[in-house]
Amino acid sequence: MNVRGRRDFFKSVAGATAGMYVMARGGSADAQAPAARRQVMIGGRRIRVVDVHAHCDMPLGDIVKGTPFENQANADPELEERLLAIDEQGVDVQALSINGFWWYEATDRGLARAICNTQNEGLAAWVRQHSDRFVAMASVPLQFPDLAAEVLEDAVTRLGARGVTLGGHVNGEDLSLPKFDPFWAKAAEMGELVFMHPQGSDNLIKEGAFRGRGALGNIMGNPLETTYFLSRLIFDGVFDRHPQLRVCGAHAGGYLPSYFGRTEVACDVRANADCANTKRPREYLRSQILVDTMLFSEEGLRHLVAEMGVSQVVYGTDNPFNWPVTVDLVLNAPFLNDAEKEAILGGNLMRLLRIT
Amino acid sequence: MANRRQFFKTLAGATAGMYVMGRGGAANLLQAQAARRQIMVGGRRMRVVDIHQHWDMALPAEIVRGTPFEEFAKGGAGLDERIPLLDKEGIDVGVVGVNDFWWYEATDRGLARAICTVHNETLGMWHRMHPDRLVGMASVPLQFPDLAAEMLQDAVERHGARGVTIGGHVNGENLTLPKFDPFWAKVAEMGELVFMHPNGSANIIKDDGLAGPGGLGNVVGNPLETTVFLSRLILDGTLDKFPALKVCGAHGGGFLPSYFGRTEIGTQRGNQKPIFKKPPREYLRSQILADTMVFSEEGLRHLVAEMGVSQVVFGTDIPFGWPVNVDLIANASVLSDAEKEAILGGNLIKLLRLA
Repeated sequence: MNVRGRRDFFKSVAGATAGMYVMARGGSADAQAPAARRQVMIGGRRIRVVDVHAHCDMPLGDIVKGTPFENQANADPELEERLLAIDEQGVDVQALSINGFWWYEATDRGLARAICNTQNEGLAAWVRQHSDRFVAMASVPLQFPDLAAEVLEDAVTRLGARGVTLGGHVNGEDLSLPKFDPFWAKAAEMGELVFMHPQGSDNLIKEGAFRGRGALGNIMGNPLETTYFLSRLIFDGVFDRHPQLRVCGAHAGGYLPSYFGRTEVACDVRANADCANTKRPREYLRSQILVDTMLFSEEGLRHLVAEMGVSQVVYGTDNPFNWPVTVDLVLNAPFLNDAEKEAILGGNLMRLLRIT
Repeated sequence: MANRRQFFKTLAGATAGMYVMGRGGAANLLQAQAARRQIMVGGRRMRVVDIHQHWDMALPAEIVRGTPFEEFAKGGAGLDERIPLLDKEGIDVGVVGVNDFWWYEATDRGLARAICTVHNETLGMWHRMHPDRLVGMASVPLQFPDLAAEMLQDAVERHGARGVTIGGHVNGENLTLPKFDPFWAKVAEMGELVFMHPNGSANIIKDDGLAGPGGLGNVVGNPLETTVFLSRLILDGTLDKFPALKVCGAHGGGFLPSYFGRTEIGTQRGNQKPIFKKPPREYLRSQILADTMVFSEEGLRHLVAEMGVSQVVFGTDIPFGWPVNVDLIANASVLSDAEKEAILGGNLIKLLRLA
């Protein structure tokens, strides 16, 4: 991957979220009247809420002057505003992490070390001020696996970091390559939690992306293509333009129905989503979209039916390829009544395909 | 577009030897004449209909001779062997489609029409031979949307096709482009079911593959990256090498936990030579963790059912404006108080050594 690619991509992801900060900017005005800290109770007892997924930045000042990363010199962590936000949301402790991973592109060990040290020290200073509200996950220069191991140890033992954050790849390289073992060995030896945050699959939306073990071109390429296809029909307004259209996606509709939450809220929270659909995505999922039963577990089928409704699920085997045949899965499903079993195994398709 | 063909060949190659019938297996099935399985529900015989049946149909050589598609004159076996398979599995009606869509690359309208005509006539013939057991879905030349509309109508009216099968893209173009509306309009007008079958995401695993409305670079790209990342850690043996490793994937662990069946079964297929040591689910329920960013009670219930309470930890994505899930968990009817406490804080208090 070229260096610009990742930076531009991250910028576009970041830009895509402009105006979406919950706090700061527009929203902070409301926060001037400090909301009472929410106390989350379970069974009448106050519990502690801990958040593993909390982004922040750290200004790097002179360290990045004259490097390709100058735009990080004045990054704004906006941590004061964050206290107000987590009070309001009932989060007691946030595990802060810096998830842009733009520094994986630094080819100079000294620079990479300095960036991560500054981030880890900056986070540690913040955590010391609010030791009951924040912990920090370590930033590491994963392009130098041995150095990443060393920086992780330093961040934990000297600066009090808890766990470590990383991206899904290092400049397009899979983290399962043996060269990264020194890092994994250190994280395992220290028992540190690893929090992985993706950056939009820029390692995968390129030719040859599903190389390697596990036949992922089929195992993931197929559900991915279907997910993307059905998403396009929703977000580009095709289902609205053709309300009679009924489209059945193979392999249980790919990832779309089984992981629908992100799709359902996409148009609400993504300012750049430019959605053409006029209804909630779930309305298409439960009327114009159908899927086959290729899920292979009772829990998978239960979830599929719960998300889509019985009328949208039809039987499919993938014959003559040797995936498990799921007729018994449907027949034995304790959460389906007889009429629902019959609809899924045949009734829905007899209607849709005019089989008499 | 050599890519699609090569890609499909790769996929097809990966499944070589996996035909349940044909070649080796068919003889056994035919000879054994297994009894036809009768599916009963509530004591009543019902009909089972299967939407997802492939057929690698051979084409007459003269149609593709001298074209880039000569290799498709070969094709696989006919459907004679399909009936015993349907019998054995209790399938009353198999809905058969030709799903590799290599003909989308034909730039000549006449050739494209000829290929799909053979498909539709042949499927119609099989339907007439076995009217109660096989129906065909129409093949259409979607690279010519007006012709695709015309051929769909012809296949339904003249050859008894039921519904139409399509790929996820036409030579990389999204099917939501207005140019494809004549096809969609015809399908909608006729009330035909569309069965979409992918071919490995060749349209997406390329630069800007997730561009366009919907913010899919984030909405799909982020869970995708996490899915592949976690899968590689399992499949390449990294989690075996470091059994103490605990890795938490953002955004509910991407698609992996919510759609785990294909990963689990995929590793058991004949073309796999797994180097990892345990069933994939054991990693999902021990070394892999996921945050709670699934935004619905049903999504959360499913995540917990697949992974176990110990593997799910609270996450907000602050400061980005995704819905915060505290109430989703605090109010989840599927969780006990102890489970709510573990997910909201207890698991992380342990993992991050919070006092």
